[in-house]
Amino acid sequence: MAAPMELSCWGGDWGLPSLHPESLTVMAYAKFSGAPLTVNTINNSWRAPKGDVPVLISEDIVISQPAKILNFLRKQKYNADYELSAKQGADTLAYIALLEEKLLPALLHTFWVEAENYCSVTKPWFASRIAFPLSLYLPGRMSREALNRILLTRGGPPLYSLTEVEAQIYRDAKECLNLLSKRLGTSQFFFGDTPTTLDAFVFGFLAPIYKVCFPRVQLQEHLKQLPNLCRFCDDILTCYFRLTVLGFAYFNEIKTQAIYDYLRAVLQRTCMLHMGRGRSNAAAV
Amino acid sequence: MSLVAEAFVTQLAATEPWPENAALYQQLKEEQILLSDNASSLAVQAFLQMCNLPVRVVCRANAEYMSPSGKVPFIHVGNQVVSELGPIVQFVKAKGHSLSDGLDEVQKAEMKAYMELVNNMLLTAELYLQWCDDVTVEEITHPRYGSPYPWPLNRILSYQKQWEVRRKMKAIGWAGKTLEQVLEDVDQCCQALSQRLGTQPYFFNKQPTELDALVFGHLFTILTTQLTTDELSEKVKNYSNLTAFCRRIEQQYFEGHDKDSSTTVAARSAKRSLLR
Repeated sequence: MAAPMELSCWGGDWGLPSLHPESLTVMAYAKFSGAPLTVNTINNSWRAPKGDVPVLISEDIVISQPAKILNFLRKQKYNADYELSAKQGADTLAYIALLEEKLLPALLHTFWVEAENYCSVTKPWFASRIAFPLSLYLPGRMSREALNRILLTRGGPPLYSLTEVEAQIYRDAKECLNLLSKRLGTSQFFFGDTPTTLDAFVFGFLAPIYKVCFPRVQLQEHLKQLPNLCRFCDDILTCYFRLTVLGFAYFNEIKTQAIYDYLRAVLQRTCMLHMGRGRSNAAAV
Repeated sequence: MSLVAEAFVTQLAATEPWPENAALYQQLKEEQILLSDNASSLAVQAFLQMCNLPVRVVCRANAEYMSPSGKVPFIHVGNQVVSELGPIVQFVKAKGHSLSDGLDEVQKAEMKAYMELVNNMLLTAELYLQWCDDVTVEEITHPRYGSPYPWPLNRILSYQKQWEVRRKMKAIGWAGKTLEQVLEDVDQCCQALSQRLGTQPYFFNKQPTELDALVFGHLFTILTTQLTTDELSEKVKNYSNLTAFCRRIEQQYFEGHDKDSSTTVAARSAKRSLLR
Protein backbone atom coordinates (compact mmCIF):
# COMPACT_ATOMS: atom_id res chain seq x y z
CA MET A 1 0.00 0.00 0.00
CA ALA A 2 1.29 3.44 -0.83
CA ALA A 3 2.42 5.66 1.97
CA PRO A 4 -0.03 8.40 2.90
CA MET A 5 0.60 11.58 0.97
CA GLU A 6 -0.02 15.07 2.20
CA LEU A 7 -0.17 18.17 0.10
CA SER A 8 0.33 21.61 1.56
CA CYS A 9 -1.01 24.38 -0.57
CA TRP A 10 -2.90 27.65 -0.61
CA GLY A 11 -6.59 27.45 0.04
CA GLY A 12 -9.42 28.58 -2.17
CA ASP A 13 -12.24 31.00 -2.50
CA TRP A 14 -14.82 32.12 -5.06
CA GLY A 15 -15.75 28.50 -5.67
CA LEU A 16 -12.23 27.27 -6.28
CA PRO A 17 -10.37 24.74 -4.15
CA SER A 18 -7.25 26.88 -4.42
CA LEU A 19 -6.28 30.29 -5.74
CA HIS A 20 -2.72 29.39 -6.57
CA PRO A 21 -2.29 28.04 -10.13
CA GLU A 22 0.36 25.49 -9.26
CA SER A 23 -1.52 24.17 -6.25
CA LEU A 24 -4.63 23.91 -8.36
CA THR A 25 -2.76 21.96 -11.04
CA VAL A 26 -1.52 19.41 -8.53
CA MET A 27 -4.94 19.04 -6.90
CA ALA A 28 -6.61 18.57 -10.27
CA TYR A 29 -4.08 15.94 -11.35
CA ALA A 30 -4.57 14.09 -8.07
CA LYS A 31 -8.32 14.01 -8.67
CA PHE A 32 -7.91 12.89 -12.26
CA SER A 33 -5.53 10.07 -11.44
CA GLY A 34 -7.29 9.01 -8.27
CA ALA A 35 -4.33 9.64 -5.98
CA PRO A 36 -5.38 9.76 -2.33
CA LEU A 37 -3.95 13.09 -1.21
CA THR A 38 -4.75 14.77 2.04
CA VAL A 39 -4.87 18.45 1.30
CA ASN A 40 -3.75 20.84 4.01
CA THR A 41 -4.48 24.41 3.17
CA ILE A 42 -2.14 26.94 4.63
CA ASN A 43 -3.91 28.75 7.38
CA ASN A 44 -3.02 31.28 9.95
CA SER A 45 -0.53 29.26 11.87
CA TRP A 46 3.20 28.98 12.19
CA ARG A 47 3.23 25.44 10.88
CA ALA A 48 3.18 26.68 7.29
CA PRO A 49 5.81 24.99 5.11
CA LYS A 50 8.90 26.93 4.28
CA GLY A 51 9.87 27.23 0.66
CA ASP A 52 7.84 26.74 -2.45
CA VAL A 53 4.21 25.93 -2.31
CA PRO A 54 2.71 23.42 -3.17
CA VAL A 55 4.68 20.85 -1.23
CA LEU A 56 4.03 17.12 -1.22
CA ILE A 57 5.10 15.22 1.86
CA SER A 58 5.10 11.45 1.79
CA GLU A 59 6.80 9.77 4.73
CA ASP A 60 10.23 11.39 4.60
CA ILE A 61 10.16 12.62 1.05
CA VAL A 62 9.47 16.31 0.44
CA ILE A 63 8.85 17.42 -3.14
CA SER A 64 8.12 20.94 -4.14
CA GLN A 65 7.54 21.81 -7.78
CA PRO A 66 4.40 20.77 -9.69
CA ALA A 67 6.33 18.95 -12.44
CA LYS A 68 8.27 16.97 -9.87
CA ILE A 69 5.18 16.25 -7.80
CA LEU A 70 3.39 14.94 -10.87
CA ASN A 71 6.39 12.77 -11.73
CA PHE A 72 6.35 11.36 -8.23
CA LEU A 73 2.64 10.57 -8.45
CA ARG A 74 3.19 8.85 -11.76
CA LYS A 75 5.92 6.71 -10.25
CA GLN A 76 3.48 5.73 -7.53
CA LYS A 77 1.26 4.39 -10.31
CA TYR A 78 -1.20 7.29 -10.27
CA ASN A 79 -0.95 8.07 -13.93
CA ALA A 80 -3.58 10.05 -15.78
CA ASP A 81 -1.72 9.75 -19.10
CA TYR A 82 -1.54 6.03 -19.70
CA GLU A 83 -4.00 6.17 -22.55
CA LEU A 84 -2.11 8.83 -24.44
CA SER A 85 -0.08 8.06 -27.54
CA ALA A 86 3.54 9.20 -27.81
CA LYS A 87 2.59 12.13 -30.02
CA GLN A 88 -0.07 13.26 -27.56
CA GLY A 89 2.48 13.10 -24.78
CA ALA A 90 4.74 15.35 -26.86
CA ASP A 91 1.84 17.73 -27.48
CA THR A 92 1.27 17.91 -23.72
CA LEU A 93 4.82 19.13 -23.16
CA ALA A 94 4.52 21.69 -25.94
CA TYR A 95 1.24 23.15 -24.70
CA ILE A 96 2.52 23.34 -21.14
CA ALA A 97 5.51 25.32 -22.45
CA LEU A 98 3.07 27.59 -24.30
CA LEU A 99 1.11 28.20 -21.11
CA GLU A 100 4.22 29.02 -19.13
CA GLU A 101 5.65 31.37 -21.71
CA LYS A 102 2.53 33.20 -22.85
CA LEU A 103 -0.12 32.96 -20.18
CA LEU A 104 1.78 32.88 -16.92
CA PRO A 105 3.23 36.44 -17.14
CA ALA A 106 -0.24 37.91 -17.59
CA LEU A 107 -1.62 35.76 -14.79
CA LEU A 108 1.13 36.90 -12.45
CA HIS A 109 0.51 40.47 -13.51
CA THR A 110 -3.23 40.29 -12.85
CA PHE A 111 -2.71 38.82 -9.42
CA TRP A 112 0.42 40.47 -8.12
CA VAL A 113 1.47 43.51 -10.10
CA GLU A 114 -1.70 45.33 -11.13
CA ALA A 115 -1.98 47.81 -8.28
CA GLU A 116 -5.74 47.82 -7.80
CA ASN A 117 -6.03 44.06 -7.92
CA TYR A 118 -3.11 43.51 -5.62
CA CYS A 119 -4.15 46.01 -2.96
CA SER A 120 -7.83 45.21 -2.86
CA VAL A 121 -7.91 41.47 -3.39
CA THR A 122 -4.65 39.53 -3.49
CA LYS A 123 -2.78 41.08 -0.59
CA PRO A 124 -5.62 40.93 1.95
CA TRP A 125 -6.49 37.39 0.94
CA PHE A 126 -2.98 36.04 1.27
CA ALA A 127 -2.19 38.11 4.33
CA SER A 128 -5.19 36.68 6.12
CA ARG A 129 -3.79 33.21 5.63
CA ILE A 130 -0.27 33.86 6.83
CA ALA A 131 0.66 34.27 10.44
CA PHE A 132 1.53 37.70 11.76
CA PRO A 133 4.16 39.21 11.35
CA LEU A 134 5.02 37.27 8.18
CA SER A 135 1.76 38.51 6.73
CA LEU A 136 3.26 41.97 6.56
CA TYR A 137 6.24 40.80 4.54
CA LEU A 138 5.44 37.72 2.45
CA PRO A 139 2.76 39.15 0.12
CA GLY A 140 5.09 42.03 -0.71
CA ARG A 141 7.88 39.65 -1.47
CA MET A 142 5.68 37.50 -3.69
CA SER A 143 4.63 40.62 -5.55
CA ARG A 144 8.22 41.72 -6.08
CA GLU A 145 9.18 38.27 -7.31
CA ALA A 146 6.33 38.29 -9.79
CA LEU A 147 7.31 41.71 -11.16
CA ASN A 148 10.92 40.61 -11.33
CA ARG A 149 10.02 37.52 -13.30
CA ILE A 150 7.89 39.47 -15.75
CA LEU A 151 10.55 42.10 -16.33
CA LEU A 152 13.41 39.67 -16.67
CA THR A 153 11.69 37.37 -19.11
CA ARG A 154 9.64 39.82 -21.17
CA GLY A 155 10.88 43.27 -20.35
CA GLY A 156 13.93 43.63 -22.52
CA PRO A 157 14.29 46.27 -25.24
CA PRO A 158 12.53 47.49 -27.40
CA LEU A 159 9.93 47.60 -24.67
CA TYR A 160 11.21 50.17 -22.28
CA SER A 161 8.34 51.02 -20.00
CA LEU A 162 6.16 48.87 -17.81
CA THR A 163 3.02 49.87 -19.72
CA GLU A 164 4.48 48.59 -22.97
CA VAL A 165 5.50 45.33 -21.33
CA GLU A 166 2.00 45.01 -19.89
CA ALA A 167 0.40 45.62 -23.26
CA GLN A 168 2.60 42.96 -24.85
CA ILE A 169 2.03 40.31 -22.19
CA TYR A 170 -1.74 40.76 -22.25
CA ARG A 171 -1.72 40.52 -26.01
CA ASP A 172 0.28 37.30 -25.81
CA ALA A 173 -2.03 35.93 -23.12
CA LYS A 174 -5.14 36.63 -25.19
CA GLU A 175 -3.53 34.96 -28.18
CA CYS A 176 -2.66 31.98 -26.01
CA LEU A 177 -6.27 31.73 -24.82
CA ASN A 178 -7.46 31.83 -28.42
CA LEU A 179 -5.04 29.05 -29.36
CA LEU A 180 -6.20 26.90 -26.45
CA SER A 181 -9.80 27.44 -27.39
CA LYS A 182 -9.11 26.39 -30.98
CA ARG A 183 -7.25 23.33 -29.81
CA LEU A 184 -10.02 22.32 -27.41
CA GLY A 185 -12.75 22.78 -29.97
CA THR A 186 -15.90 20.98 -28.93
CA SER A 187 -14.43 18.01 -27.10
CA GLN A 188 -14.76 17.68 -23.39
CA PHE A 189 -11.09 17.43 -22.55
CA PHE A 190 -7.99 18.09 -24.59
CA PHE A 191 -7.38 14.45 -25.45
CA GLY A 192 -10.77 12.86 -25.78
CA ASP A 193 -13.02 11.99 -22.89
CA THR A 194 -10.65 11.47 -20.00
CA PRO A 195 -8.70 14.26 -18.37
CA THR A 196 -4.90 14.16 -18.48
CA THR A 197 -1.90 16.17 -17.31
CA LEU A 198 -2.53 18.87 -19.89
CA ASP A 199 -6.08 19.32 -18.64
CA ALA A 200 -4.73 19.69 -15.11
CA PHE A 201 -2.28 22.40 -16.17
CA VAL A 202 -4.79 24.29 -18.29
CA PHE A 203 -7.35 24.13 -15.51
CA GLY A 204 -4.78 25.31 -12.98
CA PHE A 205 -3.99 28.38 -15.07
CA LEU A 206 -7.46 29.20 -16.32
CA ALA A 207 -9.62 28.69 -13.25
CA PRO A 208 -8.13 31.54 -11.17
CA ILE A 209 -8.53 33.92 -14.11
CA TYR A 210 -12.08 32.74 -14.60
CA LYS A 211 -13.40 32.78 -11.08
CA VAL A 212 -11.58 35.32 -8.96
CA CYS A 213 -13.35 38.68 -8.84
CA PHE A 214 -10.85 41.43 -9.46
CA PRO A 215 -11.48 45.12 -10.07
CA ARG A 216 -9.34 45.02 -13.27
CA VAL A 217 -10.39 42.02 -15.31
CA GLN A 218 -9.42 42.35 -18.95
CA LEU A 219 -8.15 38.78 -19.10
CA GLN A 220 -11.30 37.44 -17.50
CA GLU A 221 -13.48 39.29 -19.96
CA HIS A 222 -11.50 37.84 -22.85
CA LEU A 223 -11.79 34.37 -21.34
CA LYS A 224 -15.55 34.72 -20.99
CA GLN A 225 -15.78 35.26 -24.72
CA LEU A 226 -14.39 31.76 -25.24
CA PRO A 227 -17.31 29.62 -24.09
CA ASN A 228 -15.64 26.26 -24.59
CA LEU A 229 -12.86 27.16 -22.14
CA CYS A 230 -15.39 28.38 -19.58
CA ARG A 231 -17.35 25.20 -20.00
CA PHE A 232 -14.14 23.21 -19.57
CA CYS A 233 -13.40 24.88 -16.20
CA ASP A 234 -16.97 24.53 -14.98
CA ASP A 235 -17.07 20.87 -15.94
CA ILE A 236 -13.95 20.05 -13.99
CA LEU A 237 -15.15 22.03 -11.00
CA THR A 238 -18.53 20.31 -10.90
CA CYS A 239 -17.32 16.79 -11.67
CA TYR A 240 -14.15 16.62 -9.65
CA PHE A 241 -14.30 19.35 -7.07
CA ARG A 242 -17.98 19.55 -6.28
CA LEU A 243 -17.80 17.83 -2.93
CA THR A 244 -14.86 19.92 -1.80
CA VAL A 245 -16.35 23.16 -2.98
CA LEU A 246 -19.85 22.39 -1.78
CA GLY A 247 -18.34 21.07 1.42
CA PHE A 248 -16.66 24.43 1.98
CA ALA A 249 -19.77 26.34 1.09
CA TYR A 250 -21.99 24.10 3.16
CA PHE A 251 -19.70 24.30 6.13
CA ASN A 252 -19.52 28.05 5.83
CA GLU A 253 -23.26 28.17 5.62
CA ILE A 254 -23.70 26.00 8.67
CA LYS A 255 -21.24 28.15 10.54
CA THR A 256 -23.00 31.31 9.45
CA GLN A 257 -26.38 29.84 10.30
CA ALA A 258 -25.19 28.75 13.72
CA ILE A 259 -23.76 32.18 14.48
CA TYR A 260 -26.95 33.81 13.27
CA ASP A 261 -29.13 31.58 15.45
CA TYR A 262 -26.96 32.24 18.47
CA LEU A 263 -27.06 35.98 17.99
CA ARG A 264 -30.78 35.92 17.49
CA ALA A 265 -31.20 33.94 20.69
CA VAL A 266 -29.04 36.40 22.58
CA LEU A 267 -30.97 39.33 21.16
CA GLN A 268 -34.28 37.79 22.05
CA ARG A 269 -33.17 37.12 25.56
CA THR A 270 -31.86 40.65 25.92
CA CYS A 271 -35.11 42.07 24.63
CA MET A 272 -37.17 39.91 26.92
CA LEU A 273 -35.06 40.96 29.87
CA HIS A 274 -35.54 44.62 28.97
CA MET A 275 -39.24 44.18 28.39
CA GLY A 276 -39.54 42.22 31.57
CA ARG A 277 -37.73 44.98 33.48
CA GLY A 278 -39.92 47.56 31.80
CA ARG A 279 -43.03 45.69 32.78
CA SER A 280 -41.88 45.21 36.29
CA ASN A 281 -40.93 48.93 36.40
CA ALA A 282 -44.29 49.82 35.04
CA ALA A 283 -45.87 47.49 37.54
CA ALA A 284 -43.85 49.04 40.32
CA VAL A 285 -44.89 52.53 39.30
CA MET B 1 5.82 48.86 -29.55
CA SER B 2 2.26 50.01 -29.47
CA LEU B 3 -0.38 48.49 -31.69
CA VAL B 4 -0.61 51.58 -33.85
CA ALA B 5 3.13 51.72 -34.45
CA GLU B 6 3.21 48.04 -35.28
CA ALA B 7 0.40 48.37 -37.80
CA PHE B 8 2.19 51.31 -39.37
CA VAL B 9 5.45 49.41 -39.70
CA THR B 10 3.64 46.40 -41.13
CA GLN B 11 2.02 48.61 -43.71
CA LEU B 12 5.36 50.08 -44.65
CA ALA B 13 6.91 46.65 -44.88
CA ALA B 14 4.20 45.34 -47.12
CA THR B 15 4.73 47.96 -49.80
CA GLU B 16 8.33 47.15 -50.67
CA PRO B 17 9.55 43.93 -52.21
CA TRP B 18 12.44 42.01 -50.72
CA PRO B 19 15.65 43.79 -51.74
CA GLU B 20 18.77 42.09 -53.03
CA ASN B 21 21.07 43.44 -50.38
CA ALA B 22 19.29 42.19 -47.28
CA ALA B 23 21.81 41.46 -44.58
CA LEU B 24 21.75 39.29 -41.48
CA TYR B 25 24.03 40.37 -38.68
CA GLN B 26 25.53 38.08 -36.11
CA GLN B 27 28.67 37.94 -34.02
CA LEU B 28 32.02 36.80 -35.35
CA LYS B 29 31.67 33.25 -36.42
CA GLU B 30 35.06 31.85 -35.63
CA GLU B 31 35.97 33.49 -32.37
CA GLN B 32 33.05 35.12 -30.68
CA ILE B 33 29.67 33.60 -31.27
CA LEU B 34 28.23 31.32 -28.61
CA LEU B 35 26.07 28.23 -28.83
CA SER B 36 22.69 29.85 -28.21
CA ASP B 37 23.30 32.82 -30.51
CA ASN B 38 24.57 30.56 -33.25
CA ALA B 39 21.46 28.40 -32.93
CA SER B 40 19.16 31.43 -33.23
CA SER B 41 21.10 32.79 -36.17
CA LEU B 42 21.06 29.47 -37.98
CA ALA B 43 17.31 29.18 -37.40
CA VAL B 44 16.73 32.54 -39.08
CA GLN B 45 19.04 31.67 -41.95
CA ALA B 46 17.22 28.38 -42.48
CA PHE B 47 13.86 30.14 -42.40
CA LEU B 48 14.92 32.69 -45.01
CA GLN B 49 16.35 29.94 -47.20
CA MET B 50 13.08 28.05 -46.96
CA CYS B 51 11.22 31.17 -48.08
CA ASN B 52 13.70 31.60 -50.94
CA LEU B 53 14.69 35.03 -49.79
CA PRO B 54 18.33 35.89 -50.38
CA VAL B 55 20.26 37.26 -47.47
CA ARG B 56 23.95 37.66 -46.83
CA VAL B 57 25.43 37.01 -43.43
CA VAL B 58 27.57 39.79 -42.00
CA CYS B 59 29.66 39.14 -38.93
CA ARG B 60 30.28 42.04 -36.60
CA ALA B 61 31.74 42.04 -33.13
CA ASN B 62 29.12 44.45 -31.84
CA ALA B 63 26.11 42.78 -33.43
CA GLU B 64 24.43 42.40 -30.05
CA TYR B 65 24.58 46.12 -29.43
CA MET B 66 23.39 47.04 -32.88
CA SER B 67 20.32 44.88 -32.55
CA PRO B 68 17.11 46.72 -31.61
CA SER B 69 16.23 44.15 -28.98
CA GLY B 70 19.70 43.28 -27.78
CA LYS B 71 19.51 39.81 -29.26
CA VAL B 72 21.09 38.36 -32.35
CA PRO B 73 20.45 37.76 -35.15
CA PHE B 74 18.85 40.74 -36.74
CA ILE B 75 18.17 41.47 -40.37
CA HIS B 76 18.55 44.77 -42.15
CA VAL B 77 16.09 44.92 -44.99
CA GLY B 78 15.63 48.16 -46.88
CA ASN B 79 14.89 50.71 -44.16
CA GLN B 80 13.97 48.33 -41.43
CA VAL B 81 15.84 46.41 -38.81
CA VAL B 82 14.08 43.42 -37.27
CA SER B 83 15.54 41.03 -34.73
CA GLU B 84 14.70 37.55 -33.49
CA LEU B 85 12.84 34.81 -35.27
CA GLY B 86 9.31 35.70 -34.13
CA PRO B 87 9.26 39.29 -35.39
CA ILE B 88 11.21 38.29 -38.53
CA VAL B 89 8.55 35.70 -39.38
CA GLN B 90 5.86 38.35 -39.01
CA PHE B 91 7.85 40.85 -41.06
CA VAL B 92 8.35 38.36 -43.85
CA LYS B 93 4.67 37.50 -43.70
CA ALA B 94 3.80 41.16 -44.15
CA LYS B 95 5.86 41.10 -47.33
CA GLY B 96 3.76 38.24 -48.60
CA HIS B 97 5.93 35.20 -47.94
CA SER B 98 4.72 32.69 -45.44
CA LEU B 99 5.46 29.06 -44.76
CA SER B 100 2.52 28.32 -42.51
CA ASP B 101 -0.41 29.50 -44.64
CA GLY B 102 -1.38 25.98 -45.52
CA LEU B 103 -1.95 24.96 -41.91
CA ASP B 104 -5.36 24.94 -40.30
CA GLU B 105 -6.07 26.61 -36.98
CA VAL B 106 -5.35 23.63 -34.78
CA GLN B 107 -2.06 22.98 -36.59
CA LYS B 108 -1.06 26.61 -36.20
CA ALA B 109 -1.75 26.35 -32.47
CA GLU B 110 0.39 23.21 -32.33
CA MET B 111 3.19 24.88 -34.25
CA LYS B 112 3.25 27.84 -31.88
CA ALA B 113 3.19 25.50 -28.90
CA TYR B 114 6.15 23.51 -30.19
CA MET B 115 8.09 26.70 -30.93
CA GLU B 116 7.52 27.75 -27.34
CA LEU B 117 8.70 24.32 -26.20
CA VAL B 118 11.97 24.76 -28.07
CA ASN B 119 12.40 28.27 -26.68
CA ASN B 120 11.45 27.26 -23.20
CA MET B 121 13.55 24.13 -22.90
CA LEU B 122 16.27 23.96 -25.53
CA LEU B 123 17.24 27.61 -25.60
CA THR B 124 17.16 27.91 -21.81
CA ALA B 125 19.24 24.75 -21.48
CA GLU B 126 21.79 26.18 -23.91
CA LEU B 127 21.93 29.41 -21.95
CA TYR B 128 22.30 27.47 -18.73
CA LEU B 129 25.12 25.39 -20.11
CA GLN B 130 26.93 28.43 -21.43
CA TRP B 131 26.60 30.74 -18.50
CA CYS B 132 25.81 28.75 -15.37
CA ASP B 133 28.02 25.69 -15.73
CA ASP B 134 31.34 26.76 -14.29
CA VAL B 135 33.57 24.54 -16.40
CA THR B 136 32.04 25.66 -19.68
CA VAL B 137 32.04 29.28 -18.56
CA GLU B 138 35.72 29.26 -17.75
CA GLU B 139 36.93 27.32 -20.74
CA ILE B 140 34.67 28.41 -23.54
CA THR B 141 32.30 31.26 -22.80
CA HIS B 142 34.52 33.85 -21.14
CA PRO B 143 37.34 33.53 -23.69
CA ARG B 144 34.96 33.62 -26.64
CA TYR B 145 32.48 36.27 -25.57
CA GLY B 146 34.93 39.09 -25.02
CA SER B 147 37.54 38.04 -27.56
CA PRO B 148 37.27 41.09 -29.88
CA TYR B 149 37.87 43.46 -27.04
CA PRO B 150 41.03 44.27 -25.08
CA TRP B 151 41.55 43.47 -21.46
CA PRO B 152 39.91 44.44 -19.08
CA LEU B 153 36.84 45.19 -21.21
CA ASN B 154 36.49 41.58 -22.30
CA ARG B 155 36.26 40.31 -18.74
CA ILE B 156 33.89 43.07 -17.65
CA LEU B 157 31.51 42.44 -20.56
CA SER B 158 31.39 38.72 -20.06
CA TYR B 159 30.86 39.02 -16.32
CA GLN B 160 28.08 41.51 -16.90
CA LYS B 161 26.36 39.18 -19.34
CA GLN B 162 26.82 36.25 -17.01
CA TRP B 163 25.24 38.17 -14.16
CA GLU B 164 22.26 39.07 -16.35
CA VAL B 165 21.71 35.50 -17.50
CA ARG B 166 22.04 34.12 -13.98
CA ARG B 167 19.46 36.60 -12.72
CA LYS B 168 17.07 35.43 -15.37
CA MET B 169 17.70 31.77 -14.56
CA LYS B 170 16.99 32.48 -10.92
CA ALA B 171 13.72 34.23 -11.76
CA ILE B 172 12.42 31.29 -13.78
CA GLY B 173 13.57 28.69 -11.30
CA TRP B 174 16.43 27.15 -13.26
CA ALA B 175 19.17 28.36 -10.95
CA GLY B 176 18.63 25.47 -8.58
CA LYS B 177 18.93 22.83 -11.28
CA THR B 178 21.99 20.68 -11.65
CA LEU B 179 23.56 19.94 -15.00
CA GLU B 180 22.11 16.43 -14.96
CA GLN B 181 18.61 17.80 -14.51
CA VAL B 182 19.12 20.25 -17.35
CA LEU B 183 20.36 17.45 -19.61
CA GLU B 184 17.32 15.41 -18.64
CA ASP B 185 15.09 18.30 -19.67
CA VAL B 186 16.91 18.46 -23.01
CA ASP B 187 16.33 14.75 -23.41
CA GLN B 188 12.63 15.14 -22.66
CA CYS B 189 12.36 17.95 -25.17
CA CYS B 190 14.17 15.96 -27.85
CA GLN B 191 11.95 12.98 -27.15
CA ALA B 192 8.87 15.13 -27.60
CA LEU B 193 10.21 16.56 -30.87
CA SER B 194 11.18 13.11 -32.10
CA GLN B 195 7.75 11.71 -31.32
CA ARG B 196 6.05 14.62 -33.02
CA LEU B 197 8.26 14.30 -36.11
CA GLY B 198 7.82 10.55 -36.35
CA THR B 199 8.67 9.36 -39.85
CA GLN B 200 7.57 12.48 -41.69
CA PRO B 201 10.08 14.57 -43.58
CA TYR B 202 9.00 17.77 -41.83
CA PHE B 203 6.92 18.53 -38.79
CA PHE B 204 3.84 19.41 -40.77
CA ASN B 205 3.69 17.03 -43.64
CA LYS B 206 5.62 17.74 -46.76
CA GLN B 207 6.36 21.44 -46.45
CA PRO B 208 8.76 22.99 -43.97
CA THR B 209 7.55 25.69 -41.64
CA GLU B 210 9.20 28.07 -39.20
CA LEU B 211 9.11 25.32 -36.62
CA ASP B 212 11.36 23.19 -38.81
CA ALA B 213 13.75 26.12 -39.18
CA LEU B 214 13.87 26.70 -35.44
CA VAL B 215 14.37 23.04 -34.56
CA PHE B 216 17.02 22.70 -37.24
CA GLY B 217 18.88 25.74 -35.96
CA HIS B 218 19.07 24.46 -32.41
CA LEU B 219 19.67 20.79 -33.06
CA PHE B 220 22.28 21.30 -35.76
CA THR B 221 24.20 23.71 -33.57
CA ILE B 222 24.08 21.33 -30.63
CA LEU B 223 25.24 18.46 -32.80
CA THR B 224 28.13 20.31 -34.35
CA THR B 225 29.53 22.47 -31.59
CA GLN B 226 32.41 21.17 -29.62
CA LEU B 227 31.96 21.78 -25.91
CA THR B 228 33.85 20.54 -22.91
CA THR B 229 31.72 17.39 -22.84
CA ASP B 230 29.73 15.55 -25.43
CA GLU B 231 26.73 14.93 -23.23
CA LEU B 232 24.49 17.50 -24.86
CA SER B 233 25.05 16.27 -28.38
CA GLU B 234 24.73 12.66 -27.23
CA LYS B 235 21.24 13.44 -25.99
CA VAL B 236 20.24 14.61 -29.45
CA LYS B 237 22.03 11.76 -31.23
CA ASN B 238 19.88 9.26 -29.37
CA TYR B 239 17.04 10.17 -31.70
CA SER B 240 17.91 9.07 -35.19
CA ASN B 241 14.98 10.75 -36.89
CA LEU B 242 16.15 14.10 -35.53
CA THR B 243 19.67 13.67 -36.92
CA ALA B 244 18.21 12.54 -40.24
CA PHE B 245 15.97 15.63 -40.20
CA CYS B 246 18.97 17.92 -39.66
CA ARG B 247 20.94 16.20 -42.39
CA ARG B 248 18.02 16.52 -44.79
CA ILE B 249 17.60 20.24 -44.22
CA GLU B 250 21.33 20.85 -44.41
CA GLN B 251 21.52 19.07 -47.74
CA GLN B 252 18.48 20.70 -49.17
CA TYR B 253 18.94 24.27 -48.11
CA PHE B 254 22.57 24.84 -47.33
CA GLU B 255 24.80 22.71 -49.46
CA GLY B 256 23.68 24.03 -52.79
CA HIS B 257 25.18 27.41 -52.07
CA ASP B 258 28.80 28.15 -52.67
CA LYS B 259 28.67 31.89 -52.17
CA ASP B 260 30.69 32.95 -49.18
CA SER B 261 31.64 30.50 -46.55
CA SER B 262 29.30 32.05 -44.05
CA THR B 263 26.19 30.72 -45.71
CA THR B 264 27.44 27.18 -45.71
CA VAL B 265 27.33 26.01 -42.17
CA ALA B 266 30.19 23.68 -42.87
CA ALA B 267 32.83 26.36 -42.48
CA ARG B 268 33.21 26.80 -38.77
CA SER B 269 36.13 25.97 -36.60
CA ALA B 270 35.79 23.08 -34.19
CA LYS B 271 32.91 21.66 -36.13
CA ARG B 272 32.19 18.07 -36.90
CA SER B 273 30.21 17.45 -40.03
CA LEU B 274 27.05 15.41 -39.81
CA LEU B 275 28.07 13.52 -42.89
CA ARG B 276 30.82 11.59 -41.20
